[in-house]
Amino acid sequence: MSTLRSPPLPIRLAVHAVVYLGAFTMLLPMAWMVLTSLKTDLEAAQAPTWATLLPSVPQWGHYHEAIRAADLDRFYWNSALAAILTTVLGVAHNALAGFAFAKLRFAGKRVLFGLALTTMMVPIQVYFIFAYIICSKLGFVDNIQALIVPFLASGFGIFYIRQVMNAVPDSLIEAGRLDGMNEFDIFWYVARPIIWPAIASLGVFTFVFSWNNLFWPLIVVDSERSKTLPLAIADLSAGQYVDSWPVQMAAGTILIVPLVVVFFLLQRAFVQGVAVTGIKE
Amino acid sequence: MPIRRSNTAYLFLLFPLGILLVFTLIPTLLGIGLSLFAWDGGPDPSWVGLNNFTDLASDAKFGPALRNTIVYVLGSVPPMVIIGFLLAAAVQASWFKGRVLVRTMFFLPTILSIVAIGYVWRWLLEPEAGLVNWALRLVGVVNPPDWLNDEQWALRSIIVVTVWRGIGFCMVIYLASLATINRSLYEAAEVDGATPGQVLRHITWPQVAPTTAFLFITGVIGSLQVFDVVFVMTGQAENDATNVLNLYIYRLFTYGQLGYAAAVGVVIFTITLLATAAQLTWTMRSRRAEQGAA
Repeated sequence: MSTLRSPPLPIRLAVHAVVYLGAFTMLLPMAWMVLTSLKTDLEAAQAPTWATLLPSVPQWGHYHEAIRAADLDRFYWNSALAAILTTVLGVAHNALAGFAFAKLRFAGKRVLFGLALTTMMVPIQVYFIFAYIICSKLGFVDNIQALIVPFLASGFGIFYIRQVMNAVPDSLIEAGRLDGMNEFDIFWYVARPIIWPAIASLGVFTFVFSWNNLFWPLIVVDSERSKTLPLAIADLSAGQYVDSWPVQMAAGTILIVPLVVVFFLLQRAFVQGVAVTGIKE
Repeated sequence: MPIRRSNTAYLFLLFPLGILLVFTLIPTLLGIGLSLFAWDGGPDPSWVGLNNFTDLASDAKFGPALRNTIVYVLGSVPPMVIIGFLLAAAVQASWFKGRVLVRTMFFLPTILSIVAIGYVWRWLLEPEAGLVNWALRLVGVVNPPDWLNDEQWALRSIIVVTVWRGIGFCMVIYLASLATINRSLYEAAEVDGATPGQVLRHITWPQVAPTTAFLFITGVIGSLQVFDVVFVMTGQAENDATNVLNLYIYRLFTYGQLGYAAAVGVVIFTITLLATAAQLTWTMRSRRAEQGAA
């Protein structure tokens, strides 16, 4: 592979400068959030000067304060349980459905796949009222089921897995069948190992979506005890901590830590997953 | 080769399709129907025909919400996609140092929760102690605005935050697409003596057209449904300067005006379908024109 002629050095330097400046502004807000969370209220409330950019004495107590004052540990647990169960169960079901649409033959396949795709197009604002009513009839409202069960299947997830299943050769599936495997064994022992990265990507997407979801929890969560972390943190500003930016920034930091951890652990799955989504047409 | 018929397929599909049916498809049909009723959630909804929609035309809150939503879509999607493209093209160049690092840094905000992002930006944009106005004063701006409380600046600020958060996603998708471009096209251009700018304009950009279409279509669909970022940054008090359709639906729902809320939902759905159809038509027409020219 021949490399292209490079532009002159000043242009290359300028491009690097612009791109790295942009990349820096991606991290700056998060860095400022963490810095602020460690300042005293007084330090944070003053117009910043060069001298007060860094906290003089790190106020780790703000984290404790944010957690205790707003019961964040309980909401952490609600959010984590909802996100983990949605991810594990949802990915399993979407993967099986995507496998069926890609590799099995049955009557009504096109119609059923069309229905699954349709759900991708409809904005939640059209269906949330009756989704809420159905959840309340089932006794889900204000329970963790409401945060999990409606998300155990998604048109996007099914579509995504069906697309990546193309990478599994039909001959392998046929060979599995000749060996006497049933459909589930074929899915588990033949298809799943091949598309494992895509399953991981879908898992990461599902986790992030569930963890960050705001609109639906606002609708289905009524009481204190069932709140998710984003709801609890959105409420922080309305409560007694409205004036304490450092405590709010501590709460914000608490909210993003699991995402940052998941992101760095599974960065490859993330970026590859996004890439596959983008070139699907 | 197709595989023999399988009834196990139905077993695999039963639960996921059941979930979609019960929590999405049926509620969608009922929701569209509800837009023709006045209902407060009580025992008897009353039929009002198209009255909800004619009421919207004279609703003093709906107009600004619709306008703001459209401004938000037009203000955020094109810059996000174009900056994402330029970044990807720059980073993809063989002489660029630190591609993976840059990609990671740009992608990070995409996964962070909007609640956290909204808060940190509210803090950065705070008029007195915020970092943005500090920097502006440092470079000599005497009286920088109170971004989120100034009617002129509030929506623009939200748009900038949206673009800031979205360019990493566009960039990553463009990078994947750029990697599939046939190198020989570039080599031919080099032989012809094309400048880097010409290569970008006449080779790279047309080659990634399907990705651009994908990003525009999904970007428009997503930003027509904007809720989180507005709710967190300015939406907890009602105001016309940054109200958007979904925030309005949420308020109508909390006031118990369910039929009217459903009507606004149908409006969003309709705009979404029209915008998507228009973009698909445009995409296909330009693709055909290109093939005709070739």
